[in-house]
Amino acid sequence: MNQKTGEPERRLPLRSVSLLARIQQYGLAILLVVAALGGGLLADYYKIQGVQFALFLFAIAVSIWAAGPGPGVLALILSCLVFNYFFTEPIHTLYVTRDDLPDYIAFLLFAALLSWFSLVRRRTEQILLKTRDELRLEVQERTRQANLLDLTDDMIFVRDMNAVITYWNRGAQNLYGFTSKEAVGKRSHELLRTVFPVPLEDIVAEVERTGRWKGELTHTKADGSRFIVLSRWSLQRDEKQQPIAILEVNTDITARKQREVEIHALNDELGKRAGELEAVNKELEAFAYSVSHDLRAPIRHISGFAELLQKNMASALDHKSQRHMAMILDSAKRMGTLIDDLLAFSRIGRAQAHKTMVSLQQLVQEALSDLAQETEGRNIVWRVGELPACYGDRAMLRLVLVNLVANAVKFTRTRAEAEIEIGSTNHNPDQIVIFVKDNGVGFDMKYVNKLFGVFQRLHTPEAFEGTGIGLATVQRVVHRHGGRTWAEGVVDQGATFYFSLAKSGESIK
Amino acid sequence: MSGFGRILLVEDDPKDVELTLTALDEYKLANEVVVARDGEEALDYLFSRGKFEARGNGQPAVLLLDLKLPKVDGLEVLQQVKSDPNLKLIPVVILTSSHEERDMVTSYKLGVNAYVVKPVDFHEFVNAIKELGVFWALINEPPPGSIKKN
Repeated sequence: MNQKTGEPERRLPLRSVSLLARIQQYGLAILLVVAALGGGLLADYYKIQGVQFALFLFAIAVSIWAAGPGPGVLALILSCLVFNYFFTEPIHTLYVTRDDLPDYIAFLLFAALLSWFSLVRRRTEQILLKTRDELRLEVQERTRQANLLDLTDDMIFVRDMNAVITYWNRGAQNLYGFTSKEAVGKRSHELLRTVFPVPLEDIVAEVERTGRWKGELTHTKADGSRFIVLSRWSLQRDEKQQPIAILEVNTDITARKQREVEIHALNDELGKRAGELEAVNKELEAFAYSVSHDLRAPIRHISGFAELLQKNMASALDHKSQRHMAMILDSAKRMGTLIDDLLAFSRIGRAQAHKTMVSLQQLVQEALSDLAQETEGRNIVWRVGELPACYGDRAMLRLVLVNLVANAVKFTRTRAEAEIEIGSTNHNPDQIVIFVKDNGVGFDMKYVNKLFGVFQRLHTPEAFEGTGIGLATVQRVVHRHGGRTWAEGVVDQGATFYFSLAKSGESIK
Repeated sequence: MSGFGRILLVEDDPKDVELTLTALDEYKLANEVVVARDGEEALDYLFSRGKFEARGNGQPAVLLLDLKLPKVDGLEVLQQVKSDPNLKLIPVVILTSSHEERDMVTSYKLGVNAYVVKPVDFHEFVNAIKELGVFWALINEPPPGSIKKN
């Protein structure tokens, strides 16, 4: 039987007296009476008178006291019988004379008195034992709870209203470096050289008012190093509501503090970067504005005056000069287109995105009608699959589809029957992938990295016109929507352009 | 049509002035054009002050206004014109090189009547100017008090 299950037996020993113990108790009573008889007979032998009565009283008393009321009654009956038989006239009979009656009444009264004393004693003893057991249990419970407090890494201690430490857990021992023995009995603020964020009186006032306080304290360890703790104080009151102790739970937040400092520094850095970025953006905007305004004017002038010259001098100019004039005009026009495209491209980067739910299906239809002029008279087989809706800037996404479809139309120009397929693949639950596939002139995968660059072209202007801004615009819009662009192609066998969009649309900048 | 109104062209670039006048001349509108070379001059003309003190009270039928101007820029001129009770009836057409959306929005907010980006291509430019001149100086009935030549 282990310690725990043995507890209840120890708790109530008198109620669970075993049979053996009972036999022993009654045996003791018999033995005591026999001993008293022996003593009485011995006294008779030595002619000592009057001790027999006392001896039997003694036997009854001891029986009651030591063995309980049952054996006491047995001792009383036996004593009466034996006393009657051996020591009262007529000897060796059980005849009771009138003169003997007081002796028996004395036995009875004495036994009753003793029984009562014994009972009271036993009852007191029982109460005492019970109290002792309860106390022991409570000590065990308290110890268990105190051990629980030792499980945490937090530093927990209890101090009385004079700040004298009365309890000190293992966490406190480990982190502060003071053992429980060293700490208990010391004043906590002195031991830990506490630095308070506000005057201590204010904290004490708050604790007494609300029963709690929470804040950051600087403590000093046994080795002299300082650290920051998050401290929580709870006030304990007695039955009369008088404050008696404060439970202080402290968590080491040095690491957290350090991280906070780091985060703060990072935030500062980020703020600085954002500021720089904003400045750069402003410069870029000013640059774009200047390009838009100041570069277009001279181009217009070149084009305008060359045109006037051509008109007024048409008869005076020879064929070669006319051709040169045409080239000047063509170049000026191209320069104008380039500037306009570049500005449009730059605007996409700067413009605010207005996010809404956008039906890509509808955008494709719009793109197709935008391109009606280009597709007129062409033999194009369109395959438009089912396209999802997505969250994004409608105008920008429309630009993406117009550019991709226009490219497909343009680069299938050499085909007798052009095939253009627009669809979506849905392998990834987080994003939408749209593709535009054509059977046009395609491209060499060697140059796939150049496709989406600004002003990058894979064809001569004579073969296919364009400034090389379309795919760069596509990429820029898609990037702003948190997606990416890629392409596959084979020379003379067509190309497929893909772009992905985040389904949530949260990443749109 | 009861004749054509005077055009006030506010343009700092002499080449643009010449091209604009050339374009207007195709419709014989050029001799009724007054050219101001910066915003201040334009305002002086409109308010009949400075060197225009003695010019009389008639106002142009239309104001063709460039945005990027020395001294006082086009938006400022527009703002002053549209906030003056006597001038705000004059139709103002912004004629600019800039595609800037911001400028366009600001101009419309200030009450501009039209916003034209000068095309690079000369034919388109000539067409744009001609149409503007014809519309505002010939077709459109200007507000009372503007100078008209019958």
